[in-house]
Amino acid sequence: MTTQHAASTSASTPPSDPHDNIVQAVDVCKSFGDKKILTDVNLTVARGEVVVMVGPSGAGKTTMLRTINRLESIDSGEIRVNGELIGQRVNKHGKVVERSARDLARQRADIGFVFQHFNLFPHMSVLENVSLAAVEVRHQPKSKVNDYARELLERVGLADKADARTRSLSGGQQQRVAIARALAMRPALMLFDEPTSALDPEMVGEVLTVMKGLAEAGMTMIIVSHEMGFTREVADRVVVMDAGTIIESGAPEQVFSNPKHDRTRQFLSKVL
Amino acid sequence: MKFDWPYFWESLLSPSPQFLSGLALTVIISVVAMALALLLGLVIALMGRSRFLPFQLFASLYIWVIRGTPLLVQLVIIYTGFAAAGIFRFEDTDVLGSLIKGAVQAAIIGLMLNESAYISEIVRSGLESVDRGQNEAALSLGMTPMHSMRKIIVPQAIRIMVPPLGNSFNGLMKSTSILSIIGVSEMFQVGSTMSAATFKVFEIYIVVALYYLLLTTVWTFIQTAIENTLNVRAGLPRAEPVFKRLFGIRSRKQATPAPAIALQPADAA
Repeated sequence: MTTQHAASTSASTPPSDPHDNIVQAVDVCKSFGDKKILTDVNLTVARGEVVVMVGPSGAGKTTMLRTINRLESIDSGEIRVNGELIGQRVNKHGKVVERSARDLARQRADIGFVFQHFNLFPHMSVLENVSLAAVEVRHQPKSKVNDYARELLERVGLADKADARTRSLSGGQQQRVAIARALAMRPALMLFDEPTSALDPEMVGEVLTVMKGLAEAGMTMIIVSHEMGFTREVADRVVVMDAGTIIESGAPEQVFSNPKHDRTRQFLSKVL
Repeated sequence: MKFDWPYFWESLLSPSPQFLSGLALTVIISVVAMALALLLGLVIALMGRSRFLPFQLFASLYIWVIRGTPLLVQLVIIYTGFAAAGIFRFEDTDVLGSLIKGAVQAAIIGLMLNESAYISEIVRSGLESVDRGQNEAALSLGMTPMHSMRKIIVPQAIRIMVPPLGNSFNGLMKSTSILSIIGVSEMFQVGSTMSAATFKVFEIYIVVALYYLLLTTVWTFIQTAIENTLNVRAGLPRAEPVFKRLFGIRSRKQATPAPAIALQPADAA
């Protein structure tokens, strides 16, 4: 991971081999009505890299994250995941058009997404939550998927909850199930949208531990987080957003101890 | 007051074949109209949610007109009005070996159209009651919107939709009594013919009322069973028992218990 790390310490100097970039966002703009949420955002993430997006609320971090698996459409610019435009394609006249729902679904299947509010399926057991998509989307045999789902539940420390109902779990347990659910699709990239913000303080640790384990296993992750201690520990690169743009990007030690931008300094002084 | 008890008991306990066939027709029309209305209602609801503007406009126009006019008027227009204007006449038709009267066809169509407008609103609100995050989670796992609708949204929405749909069916069964206006020989129509012949008006209509009550009560049992099945499958407590529903003794929804307040004195040993 260190070589990739060294190659991608700044958003402005992407790694030399473009095939190593799993995410490449160029000049992304997005508005809700008259409100500009993202302005010319450029973000490159290398395979195996752990990028944490920080910044004041309303900076556009969550929106940016959601554009990467097209839960949010973009007004201009382009986003490539694994080299393919996400949710869009170039037609034979060279015009960028929407991809079909089926095609977009195929792209999303390789991108894990973990939500702030877990969004587990309450009408299914924990095991069904984890195995559902591999069976339904990838059409893998159920017994094989269930074995893998149990293995993942063990990895997140919830092997004994396989048959439980999701609503009987604590917030921290639900979020760990949600991570296992995303991992069951064997994604090439995991996106985390403030995964611990809805949790009681005593449950934050168990979720961060699971995420740390993933990072150590070499998973490519983009995380929106307010957990600065965690960020310092696991991030290969910290991206600071403010008012819809990336104002600074670099290794955590550099951003935290020697921020280049005034607004980064202001933000950090409030959260550190 | 003169009340012919022997006649009342006889009509109630051993109803005439005509009355029984009226009862059967009431049940058949209700069930068939409801089944068709569910399908049509689902289609209208999906059109209302579609991103295709003409579908949306059609759905809202349909719901506006159908809900805004009385069932009685709709039935007369469909059956008598259309025939008088030479637009369409319901003819007696042979379906699977039994003769279906034109009036019965018109009744089923009329009830279906009327009920579907209400059902589409129930379906719409049911689908909307499922949190948006559920759909996003399904999409993020690589499901298409249709797939998510089938596996994630509808199974959760159905539990919300069953009680109001049950009420709709209950109302539909009672609305069949106005079909007498277009000459369908359902239970009410048979009852009024009998009362005209015997002048036992009070006795006969009490019997008619009791049979409607029987129908709706049986339905309450069925509806409770459906709700229970769905609740158990979703891991939720069972619905209110039937006797409580019938007599309106509903318990309050149990909120999450308040945290127990420590009552020991501060210096408890």
